[in-house]
Amino acid sequence: MADSQQLACATCAPKGLCNGKGLATLKEGAWANNPLAIQVLGICSALAVTNRLENSLVMGAALIFVCVGSNLIVSLLRKCTPHRIRMIAEVAIIATFVIVFDQFLKAFYWDMSKQLGPYVGLIITNCIVMGRAEAFALQNPPMVSMVDGLANGLGYAAVLAIIGFFRELLGTGEILGRTIPVFSEWYTPNQLMILAPGAFFALGIVIGIFNLIKGPEPEENK
Amino acid sequence: MKGNAYTLFYAAVLGSVCALLLTAAASFTAPYKKANAEAEEALNILLALKVPLAAEASAADVLKVLEASVREKDRGGVTMYTYSPPDAGGKTLAVAMRFSGPGVWAPIRGFLALEPDMRTIRGITFYEQEETPGLGGEIVTSWFREQFVGKSIMGPDGKPGIIVSKPGEQAANKVDAISGATMTCDKVQAMLNEAIKSIVEEK
Repeated sequence: MADSQQLACATCAPKGLCNGKGLATLKEGAWANNPLAIQVLGICSALAVTNRLENSLVMGAALIFVCVGSNLIVSLLRKCTPHRIRMIAEVAIIATFVIVFDQFLKAFYWDMSKQLGPYVGLIITNCIVMGRAEAFALQNPPMVSMVDGLANGLGYAAVLAIIGFFRELLGTGEILGRTIPVFSEWYTPNQLMILAPGAFFALGIVIGIFNLIKGPEPEENK
Repeated sequence: MKGNAYTLFYAAVLGSVCALLLTAAASFTAPYKKANAEAEEALNILLALKVPLAAEASAADVLKVLEASVREKDRGGVTMYTYSPPDAGGKTLAVAMRFSGPGVWAPIRGFLALEPDMRTIRGITFYEQEETPGLGGEIVTSWFREQFVGKSIMGPDGKPGIIVSKPGEQAANKVDAISGATMTCDKVQAMLNEAIKSIVEEK
């Protein structure tokens, strides 16, 4: 790990950390090109695990870990990876990170592992992770690739947390499995928010709000 | 352009490194996973036997209760878990046994607990299943499992067996199946009947 970081810093040393592109990359990934709200990628897991805030947070953490790790490794190997097998190599790297995280959950966070079920393993096929490796890490030095992975992971995790928060709040009247003093007594939980349709409603509204704040697409301004 | 030999070499090295890392991760977490699986099994035995448990009992508590009041007995190849708490003076309050069989997607395993008369069902749990969520996966819900409580493992004609089928004529050994999960219910019925047969033949 230490070796790779030194290597990374040497790569972008001339113009400081990440060639001065760090912040722009972070903003691009987490906000302007948010993988869930703007690109609408990887929504399968986002719809499936967001019925509770805790699940959403763990899933977000998993994606950040996998995205940062796989972007780093793919970027480090980008110059020696044969072009023809680059995608299968990416999948192998991503799968390794995902399974390590899954094993970790199974060992130390058993209850969560049971609740997330197959969805942790399915991060392997999440288009965000693969997309970032293919579109960014293959062309960029390691440090800035890690920032890009972090940005996209954060963007995903933030949207998941928002959806998870409202689905748990409206679906069970609780937050993180705990009752809220006045609200929980007064509010009648709406089962719909826990079920699959609730996820579609919540995601649709979040995408709508994101686009409303972000304004029209740049193409329309030209 | 790099040659085929290089591509093969690269794939072999990358594959080996990934495999090594995964092996390391799996063997490092193995003892923790084993402990989790044991605690999960213990919890399900206790839940099937309807042993009173504290609401937020930890894995260690569960194992302690299991050790204190549940005894394992081998009866002709079938492992029976008899529940006789220390304060019951050696009396058996319930008996549980494991059942398993193929599900729709993956094996289903669980525990079936009977009252001391060995005819009436006391409780049932499923601790391993990968049925379709929302359809077959509903077997783990309490409404489905609670139906079994108090049912007989013998039909009115005295033949052993339980029936899981659509609502209709009521019987002492019949529970309602889950709509949209006929295959899961058929398989659960088959594995329960196999377990019941082994108990009845053992008697």
